[in-house]
Amino acid sequence: MLILKPKFEFDVSVEAELTPELAEKSLEEIKNFKVWYGNAEKTLGELFDVEKEGDGKKLLLDGDFSKVKWVGTGMDDGEIVIKGNIGANCGAYMKGGRITIEGSADDWLGAEMKDGEIIVKGNAKNLIGCAYYGNPSGMQGGKILIEGNAGNYIGEKMTGGTIEIKGNAGDFIGTEMKGGEIIIHGNCGYAGGDMKAGTIKIGGEFDLLPTFRKSENGWTGDVLVGGEGRILKI
Amino acid sequence: MLWIKNGIVIDPKNKIDGEKMDIFIKDGKIVDESEVNKDECRVIDANNKLVVAGGVEMHAHIAGSKINVGRTMRPEEMRIVRHTANKLRASIGRVLLTSPAIGYEYAKIGYTTAVEAASPPIGSPHTHEELDAIPIVDKAMLPVFGNWHFVFKYVAEKDREKLKAFIAWAIERTKGYGVKVVNPGGVEAWMYGGNVKNLEDEVPNWGVTPKEIITELVKSNEELDLPHSVHLHCNNLGNPGNYQTTIETMKLVSGLANEKRQTLHVTHVQFNAYAGSSWRDVASGAEEIAKVVNSMDNITIDMGQAIFGHATAMTGDAPFQFTLHKLTGSRWVNKDSEIEGGAGIVPIAYLPKNPVHALQWAIGLELGLLVDSDKVVLTTDYPNGGPFTEYPYVMAMLMSRKMREKELERVSPYVQKATSLPAIEVEKTLYDVIQMTRSLPARVMGMENKGHLGIGADADVAIYSINPDDVDPAAQYELINSEFRKPVYTIKGGEIVVKDGAVVAESWGRTFWVDARKKVSLDSIDEDLNSFFNSYYTIQRKNYGIQEEWLRNPVRVEVN
Ligand SMILES: [Zn+2]
Repeated sequence: MLILKPKFEFDVSVEAELTPELAEKSLEEIKNFKVWYGNAEKTLGELFDVEKEGDGKKLLLDGDFSKVKWVGTGMDDGEIVIKGNIGANCGAYMKGGRITIEGSADDWLGAEMKDGEIIVKGNAKNLIGCAYYGNPSGMQGGKILIEGNAGNYIGEKMTGGTIEIKGNAGDFIGTEMKGGEIIIHGNCGYAGGDMKAGTIKIGGEFDLLPTFRKSENGWTGDVLVGGEGRILKI
Repeated sequence: MLWIKNGIVIDPKNKIDGEKMDIFIKDGKIVDESEVNKDECRVIDANNKLVVAGGVEMHAHIAGSKINVGRTMRPEEMRIVRHTANKLRASIGRVLLTSPAIGYEYAKIGYTTAVEAASPPIGSPHTHEELDAIPIVDKAMLPVFGNWHFVFKYVAEKDREKLKAFIAWAIERTKGYGVKVVNPGGVEAWMYGGNVKNLEDEVPNWGVTPKEIITELVKSNEELDLPHSVHLHCNNLGNPGNYQTTIETMKLVSGLANEKRQTLHVTHVQFNAYAGSSWRDVASGAEEIAKVVNSMDNITIDMGQAIFGHATAMTGDAPFQFTLHKLTGSRWVNKDSEIEGGAGIVPIAYLPKNPVHALQWAIGLELGLLVDSDKVVLTTDYPNGGPFTEYPYVMAMLMSRKMREKELERVSPYVQKATSLPAIEVEKTLYDVIQMTRSLPARVMGMENKGHLGIGADADVAIYSINPDDVDPAAQYELINSEFRKPVYTIKGGEIVVKDGAVVAESWGRTFWVDARKKVSLDSIDEDLNSFFNSYYTIQRKNYGIQEEWLRNPVRVEVN
């Protein structure tokens, strides 16, 4: 296990593509791992206290990581535990393994993820499981669980996997969704715009577009794009 | 001064095929041995290496309205970092490269000249600003004429003298190099939601036909004796059955002759070489087209080769782009329809297993293989067919049947029944592909000092780690494919810009433009221009166009 603690409070964002494999490297290699601090290239050791306990594929991020972006990007195995908040793009392109965030997550959590699991004990912001601008598909597999609330544009263009939000979510849920499942236990705004397939389950209140028609146990649409997506009340 | 020693030279224009010789460079030109003081020369040891002229790109979309909108609408393209700024400028892009990346990537494959093949005239100041932002390569741009109201007017009035005057005026104002024509009449029809289907269809409101527009523009271009011929993107592009339109179009110029060059260049013919009647029975019409091109001595074409992977369709042919958008469901932007052109942009990725994409890939190769090497230029119609950075792949494919057989294994079997590619035995030689990438495109463009290594030529040279005496391209296609990607040297205007495949220095090329004003009476169209500008243009006539001094490094080519 690798334990990282910020050495100081970051003024600008840090771009650090930290994945659990890093824990398998030597301490020196880890300290020399390149990250960006604003527009300056730095080493991990310059920004973080680095401590190693054994070679297990696990990262423990201890402290305020809310300005640290791209943690767990593309990871395919192992575990990351974040004791505090985490910055944007956490778990983007993830292919396996697990990320547990004890605080809250920023935007683009699990964007375009293919497999694996992300658990957030606090809240998450916008664009969870989304496609990056210009790309055709968002989240394709895996699971994201948010214990608190989430923001807007959840699961845009997702084709597979599950996003579950225990609290409330914002507007534009499952826009252009093509598969997979979004479960929101609380309230949310408009859901399913231009949705082609997949399922959105909502426990609380939500706004329904006029382009959905009533079906057996919910609504089907978006008819505007000939969609067969389902919105269900739970 | 440079002394390239003991290289093995292939220079088709000067009929040199693999001769061991020395090349001398002074003041940006190739010179005779007697012109240099050998003691002062920097010596480049080219022993056992292939020495050729710098590549000439005669049809790509590298600046101006379309590629810029493409970059805006495709943020995903901009995530590929080619290199971060250090000595050179930062450059990014997957297929839609940023301006610095375009210059660097051309130089990195040994190309030193590139022509932007379609610019809306009113947008020419912007096109030139972007060309000026492309390092290293020499440049030129072709303004589009085929849907310009002045052209319709003079064609309808059958007033060729005025049409010639207008062409000379327009090329000077846009600092253009020649006459580009895109789907003549069709783009105008698009402004009313339509298109023209064949050469005899009338253009709405003008009473002229594509046939008349093409014929009059070609005859005017020939009477003006511009360095380049009319550069035509045919009607009916991208539609099954269109190979017949292409052949009919080519036959419009039979009987015309020009001893220096072709009288019509038909561009990205792959997109205009489809047989069949629908996308269900579409097949290749390349063989028929190749027969016609080979039988006429005043036609040249370029391939428009499709490359598997990411591309972006962008052309002044707005109605076709709308069709493509409907066909693929991909994003679409329509542009310039309110001005003298019209354009559309649609992202696309060519997939080997997709029957239509595989067919397009195969047709490009058929054209490259079946047309004589002094009549077909290697292009991808960047970024329509794919990135120009893949030219080494196309060169290797043209030279090796074995490589084609290997590639055929991974493409849709539809190609087997719809094209002749699997049966084609032709294997082009190094001499052929050097011709198709150097001497021929230079001749097609009328750029006398480009594409060869004779005395007086521009000192644009590429040196590759390929020994023509030793290599068998048919068998060693992997070597061809990899070595043409990393020249040992690219020399631009006598300056070493690339070494061992990496850009080592940034230079700034020139922009060539053609001035034919002396051959016409500009007064004859003065009143027409004033009245059009007063009635229809959003800017004053005196503010229209671009001054020579606004260009970074202009070269005026005067036609007398
Ligand atoms: Zn083109």
